Amino acid sequence: MITLVINGLEVSVEEGTTLLEAAQFYGFPIPTLCHMEGLSPYGACRLCVVEIGEGPKAKLVSSCTYPAQEGLRVRTASSRVLQARKMILELMLASCPQSKTIQDLASAYGVRQQRFRQEYEDCILCGLCVRMCEEQMMAKAIGFRGRGQTRSIGTPFDIKSDVCRLCGGCIYVCPACQLRCTYTEPEKAICGGCANLSPPCVEKDPFDDMMCYMEPCVACEIDKN
Amino acid sequence: MKADEILSIVDKHEGDRGGLISIFEDIQAKYSYLPAEALKVVADATGRSPVDLYAVATFYKSFSLKPRGKHLCSVCMGTACHVRGAPVIGGEFARQLKVTPGETTPDKEFTLETVNCLGACALGPIVVVDGHYFSKVDSARVKQIIKKTRDGLDEAEIKADRRVYLLTVSCSRCNHSLMDPDHPIDGSPSIRVTASSGREHGWIRLSSLYGSFTVESEFGIRTDTIVDFFCPHCHAELKGASACPLCRAPMISMIVRAGGIVQICSRRGCKGHMLDLNGSGF
Amino acid sequence: MERLRSIEELKALQARLQTDRDPSIPTIVISAGTCGQASGANDLIRVTKRELLNKGLTDRIRLRITGCHGFCEAEPSVLIEPRGTFYPRVGVQEMAQIVEAVAQDQVLKDLLFVDPATGKAVERQGDISFFKAQVRTILARNEKVDPIRVYNYIENGGYSALVRALETGDSKWVVEEVKASGLRGRGGAGFPTGLKWEFLAAQRNGRGKFLVCNADEGDPGAYMDRSVLEGNPHSIIEGMLIGGYATGANEGVVYVRNEYPLAIKHLMIALRQCHELGLLGQDILGTGFSFDIRLVRGAGAFVCGEETALIRSIEGKMGEPRQRPPFPVQKGIEGKPTAINNVESWANIPVIITEGAREFAKVGTKGNTGTKIFSLVGKVRNTGLVEVPMGITIEKVVTDIGGGPSGKAKIKAVQTGGPSGGCIPAERFDLPIDYDSLTEAGSIMGSGGMIVMDENTCMVDVAKYFMNFLKDESCGKCYTCRKGIQRMHEILEDVSNGKGTLDQLDVLEELAVVVQDTTMCGLGQTASNPVLSTLRYFRREYFEHVEKHRCPAGVCKELVTYSINENCTGCAACVRVCPEKAIAGEKKKRHVIDTSECIKCGACKTVCKFDAIDVA
Repeated sequence: MITLVINGLEVSVEEGTTLLEAAQFYGFPIPTLCHMEGLSPYGACRLCVVEIGEGPKAKLVSSCTYPAQEGLRVRTASSRVLQARKMILELMLASCPQSKTIQDLASAYGVRQQRFRQEYEDCILCGLCVRMCEEQMMAKAIGFRGRGQTRSIGTPFDIKSDVCRLCGGCIYVCPACQLRCTYTEPEKAICGGCANLSPPCVEKDPFDDMMCYMEPCVACEIDKN
Repeated sequence: MKADEILSIVDKHEGDRGGLISIFEDIQAKYSYLPAEALKVVADATGRSPVDLYAVATFYKSFSLKPRGKHLCSVCMGTACHVRGAPVIGGEFARQLKVTPGETTPDKEFTLETVNCLGACALGPIVVVDGHYFSKVDSARVKQIIKKTRDGLDEAEIKADRRVYLLTVSCSRCNHSLMDPDHPIDGSPSIRVTASSGREHGWIRLSSLYGSFTVESEFGIRTDTIVDFFCPHCHAELKGASACPLCRAPMISMIVRAGGIVQICSRRGCKGHMLDLNGSGF
Repeated sequence: MERLRSIEELKALQARLQTDRDPSIPTIVISAGTCGQASGANDLIRVTKRELLNKGLTDRIRLRITGCHGFCEAEPSVLIEPRGTFYPRVGVQEMAQIVEAVAQDQVLKDLLFVDPATGKAVERQGDISFFKAQVRTILARNEKVDPIRVYNYIENGGYSALVRALETGDSKWVVEEVKASGLRGRGGAGFPTGLKWEFLAAQRNGRGKFLVCNADEGDPGAYMDRSVLEGNPHSIIEGMLIGGYATGANEGVVYVRNEYPLAIKHLMIALRQCHELGLLGQDILGTGFSFDIRLVRGAGAFVCGEETALIRSIEGKMGEPRQRPPFPVQKGIEGKPTAINNVESWANIPVIITEGAREFAKVGTKGNTGTKIFSLVGKVRNTGLVEVPMGITIEKVVTDIGGGPSGKAKIKAVQTGGPSGGCIPAERFDLPIDYDSLTEAGSIMGSGGMIVMDENTCMVDVAKYFMNFLKDESCGKCYTCRKGIQRMHEILEDVSNGKGTLDQLDVLEELAVVVQDTTMCGLGQTASNPVLSTLRYFRREYFEHVEKHRCPAGVCKELVTYSINENCTGCAACVRVCPEKAIAGEKKKRHVIDTSECIKCGACKTVCKFDAIDVA
């Protein structure tokens, strides 16, 4: 067992626990967009940053990937942490303004302004869909491509993947584009990441076998039940 | 593209475990880009997911998934070059070739690229075309560089060039002269030796001008084949002690009359050669 | 080449090579690194060979082809040993004369280097001010060895440090020696090398351990690693062999940028020679110590210079950094313990073992021992690689060695540490160059790029340049790094276009701090340095752009106009180069620029010999 201090409270957790798991277990809420139980930790959205260490050596780390260490002092809601989260949410709002999840978080963290040029990207490259596809659906149909500003998610060569079973798991986990099924514009039907998969509700025939997570679907208004 | 060519590249790198980048580099060296089918072959041969391969191919800047031109023209955009006006040079290349960086001209002659630093910062702005470095380039020289590339950067002007000179050589075992004044190549006496490759056997004449790669032979030799060379007088093999620095094929060694030894690569088409005026070559 | 079966055989070979050498025979040394070859060194080599052969001088004059000597401004340069005569910027015609002069033991006075400060010709390399103020422990060895000849390296004392380490039979002694030397990682972060080795040696792993030489020198403006790798690859191999012996590692990897073809070629030849000699592989020199090194080429990704991304890249994956801990020394390549050191750190190891830790630590200051190579480039007169003791002031490097500004404009800052570093203003040039002082000043040591900037360099443009660089080179995983850098670039673009607002400057600063705080790897954590340091020291320039819509340095295109002043002689040089045909005028009369056509490319200013183009 490892003993560490979270927000002044001395707690013990098993070795191999991440700071996020430790904090959540002891009831300290930490927002996150790229973490999901059952998927491997990734550390892309940076919302889950917490402050560790003391004095000039104090630094922010992503709690979802940082392992709990003996004697570590962790602050999950210091002013430095809150300021960073506000800025991250502001950046996200500037790029993905239509996501309900991001809107709610921004509201909860008191983000009242958006000072950047507005973009409509509908993807924060959190990689949940990629990990869902590989680790839970055992398909590995989509992955990251490119780097830096041209990084994106999709299938190799943007052609329909042989291994994709149209399970819809990628849509289900997406924090940026969920509830945004637009039936008549299939290229926008799912988040930028999965745009090159055939969206399940476009082709009617296989639709019967599909699980649709948008019930009732806001766009096509097909009620499956 | 042939699948077995790709497979032989994959086999070559089987030893170095993480050799995916090396495999891609070799495929690209052969085809100038990474064809989609090649990626498929590599995926099947290595058992890796196409998603991973595509990720690697798009992550690294030196890989291209589109066919590239005959000549690769890289303009350095490092800080030192930037401060000295590299953006203007890049712009001028784009204007002359009528493409933007990353694109290939419609005639498939040139691919224009920008690179982040070539590490020759004191000589900026730097442009590299097919491995030839051009230093302190200004916008007026861009046109010249393009023209020179079209004419052929490797062509040595045998007649007028002061840097080209004649070597008189002899066999390193019997010291018999290998020069053949009756059959000149490039206007100078040629070097005559016996060569054998597979079942073929016959004479081969090399230009004695250092810097010229002109060769005449009794039988046809395919590019990339390694040829055994023999002295026509004592029939000893002319094998040197070291391997070619470029392609690792054995080197052929001969004694230079005025002193030292000259070594040439035994692989047809390889330009690895060394002229050692003193010392052993190691 | 015969395999060496014991330490004695290596010593015997070395002794034989040294006896055979006759130091009185004059040697022509031609520096033919990438810079040299780009300036025409290959032609000089061929002309020299031709002259030596034609004149029958091969017994009387030796020729040595080496890597870069450091004085890039003077390339292609020729050095004559043992006199030490230095000829800068040698042409093909002059080379033939030089060979003739060497044969007669004469000096060609007209071709010597002329000191711009005194106007006097200087014969010996050691007397030139650029070389005089340096302490060239590593770089001087580039002059002595032909990189593709291992015998040349052995003759110059090569592999005796390895012998010394092997002969002690005590790997702990080697680690202690490196620790005592105080050597800190030359890649930029300055972690003590000895400590890293101690960690690695303490790791128990039956499956093997790795040593890596990081030669992915991606910082634009830094090229000392290329120069060392090109000029003296065996020193890296020897350093790694000593490291392998000290830490119990059995495998080494050299990761080289693909943009350095000559370095790759020389290293490949050197590795092959070592295999043939039995200096690499199983049972090295009959001591039972086994170590092997392979070469891995990069493929053009700046982020792969980061340790964990480097490991991924060696494994053949996307070069994405990962969370530390676990550190590479615990879990590295294929999960095995791995220690990564930079090229220059490795090159220092044989020096430490040969000279002893105490001698090594005498150079430099406490906590910052030894020498460091910098690439001094930009708006300075003597550009090139300079090796100086740690703790020397910036002023000394820029003025004494660099010879001050290259043009008329005053020097206003140096940029160190590449995209991860910052700009240090001229008023702080009394700062000693060491890891801690530079960090305190808002920059970092980095791998050693030092780009001098003068009044004609716009600091907003510099910050924008680096953000533009990083937005492509970030791996893109951390949201704040990918999007944050894009947004910083967007704001800087607005500022340089004259569309920026004061509020935007506040957002910029706020965002820069968050990016620094919330990203995972070194790239993101330092990405804000160019922005924060220019905001800290050159805020006035930002204000000029925002409030007065003026670029004081005349760089930001949207804010300047080009015009021709009365200095114009009407030579029409600018008319010929103008890509838009925007300059008109009769011969020998003052020309005029049509500002509506002008694209502000600056071509006219570059060609004008009369200082007649105004940019304001």
